[in-house]
Amino acid sequence: MSALHLAWRTVRRYRAQTLLAIAGVAVIGALLFDMLLLSRGLLLSFADLLERAGYDVRIVGGGGMTLRMPIPGSAGIADTLRGLPEIETVALVRILPARVAGRNGTSVSAALIGVSGAASGVWTIVRGVDLDRASGEPCPVIVGRTLADALHAAPGDDVRITAEPAGVRSALPPIVCRVAGVGQFAFGGAGDETVATTLEALHRASGEDRAGDADLILARSRADAGAAAAVAAIQRARPGLAVYSNDEVLEQFNRNGFAYFRQISLVLSSLTMVFAFLLVATLLTVSVNQRLGEIAALRAIGIGRRRVAAMLLWESALLVGVGGLLALPLGELLALGLDRILRQMPGLPEQLHFFVFEPRALAVHVAVLVVTAVAAAAYPMWVTSRLPIAATLRREVVG
Amino acid sequence: MRPMRAAAGVPAAVLVLCATLLAADAQAPDHDAGAPAILVSRQLAARAHLAAGDLVTLGSDPQGSRRATFRIAGIYEPTPDPMRFTATRLEARMHLPDLVDLVADPADPASREAVTSISVRLTSPADAASFVPQLAARTPGVAARPTSRARDDDPFAVLDRFHVAISAVTMAGGTAFLLALMVIRAEERRETVGILRLLGISRRTLLLTVAIEGVAIAALGAVFGILLAFATEGLVNRIFQARYDTALVFVRVTASIAARSVLIAAPLGIAAGIAASWTLLRRDVLSIVRR
Repeated sequence: MSALHLAWRTVRRYRAQTLLAIAGVAVIGALLFDMLLLSRGLLLSFADLLERAGYDVRIVGGGGMTLRMPIPGSAGIADTLRGLPEIETVALVRILPARVAGRNGTSVSAALIGVSGAASGVWTIVRGVDLDRASGEPCPVIVGRTLADALHAAPGDDVRITAEPAGVRSALPPIVCRVAGVGQFAFGGAGDETVATTLEALHRASGEDRAGDADLILARSRADAGAAAAVAAIQRARPGLAVYSNDEVLEQFNRNGFAYFRQISLVLSSLTMVFAFLLVATLLTVSVNQRLGEIAALRAIGIGRRRVAAMLLWESALLVGVGGLLALPLGELLALGLDRILRQMPGLPEQLHFFVFEPRALAVHVAVLVVTAVAAAAYPMWVTSRLPIAATLRREVVG
Repeated sequence: MRPMRAAAGVPAAVLVLCATLLAADAQAPDHDAGAPAILVSRQLAARAHLAAGDLVTLGSDPQGSRRATFRIAGIYEPTPDPMRFTATRLEARMHLPDLVDLVADPADPASREAVTSISVRLTSPADAASFVPQLAARTPGVAARPTSRARDDDPFAVLDRFHVAISAVTMAGGTAFLLALMVIRAEERRETVGILRLLGISRRTLLLTVAIEGVAIAALGAVFGILLAFATEGLVNRIFQARYDTALVFVRVTASIAARSVLIAAPLGIAAGIAASWTLLRRDVLSIVRR
């Protein structure tokens, strides 16, 4: 009879404790799996958002990536960028606080985003058409989904927008704009109201005598050049500009913004691993102590030390393996719940997720469980390999 | 509507300066003896090798086109801010008039009148919610917000819910293992339980014994866990404080947390003990002694 067969018979015989142990490993394994998803989830989700926007180079003002400050001379910078052979497309983005009023008289505070050129990717059209297809409209707008619901606005409806520049006492007259489409903004928070229009329309809404500076310049590098070459070319053409490729933005956020979740996932995954090891090791040790007479009898009828040790290793592998396998769907379910909790955090982009699956997480999960299974079986294997057969039989069976 | 009254309208006397440290000079020339005083954060002092009494030149732009010399009056530890604990606190604090002199645009007299924020303490803090819209109505362009967050809007309330959820999952896993251990333990004592039953000791008494044992084990485990948490609290804080160069306290084991741990662990211990023993005790006494 093989060691696997012996182990299988043992776990079947002690059914209740086996099922409870598997349930325990499944729950702890699910938590471990979730912590692995969390360790890089935000980063992967953020990278996906950046990629989806369709631009791989970002130019920001003096406040860096975290503080939104205007970029002085942004129109001239955009012209310079358009002349660079490494750059394919350039878009300027300006953001102003505003109030948006619908036909039903409801008025809502919102972020008014003005974009130049094609800004596909910054939002996804849910209903209606994009700004570039609303030809002939002096002020076409894309309204965020929640804002459209609040205003009961649909494509073709008129809304009135009043710019409210921060820190300026103003009572600007509203401008009438037509809803071209309803969209989902890639970086819009769940509670944020957003409306986007052309840079020209935003300039008219602001009532300024000259076009204001953009808060953000987006650029897409040519495929044959790449983002790094585009960043270098921009820095050569305009020294002193704060230029970042998507990779650099990610690196910066990885260092600062996501550090807490990386740390907590590391701490919790280490703790759950130790927890799983301690519990499986305790269960196996207690179970072996209970079966010392049985194991001595197996040795007495000629089953070798190695086979008994292998049997215990298989028992551990069966408990941890089946539990670990069940942990995957359980972990996915748990991740949905935990993600829902964390996404209630104010100011987070609606489409950002904390728990994101990647094959690497699965590989680490399997590796950690294998190590746990082997480590947990080590002590019981050592105990049985040193078991004095005759003395144990006398004590456990005859006694 | 009753008019709101602000008990104290305080234009911040010192402000954190977003500026560039252009130069530091340990030797103070006589003509700089009257340089205005500033405080620098511990982190900035360490980064730029500054000490109290040094003279530094601060500029409002990297080119240093507008700059002024200040004397470092002291080094301060920035107030720990959980929202910014990953940020390196390279900061200086100075008197408001000195900051205005440094950053105000000479061509724009109104810029000398501008501040970034005004802190207001209300006579009655409960009026904060109604004060904000009243102020906004009277002074267009000013954005006012209460410094205390609503529970729904607080990121730490969200983190709290996340930690509670993780604790619940850990408890569920721990309970399964505890049950498995108690089942093994009950099976181990099968013969003893059978003999006690044959001697006439009732199921109820045996279950009570197991329940007391469960409480004792769970309480001891919880106390051990609390002691371990107390022992490692300082270590965890020191590691994270060194990692982020902050005085922020990351872990604090409070009496309420300790009490909650014991209150959750004790019923779980009783339940696991009784459930595991019941599988044995519900059987007929002869089957327990394998007859």
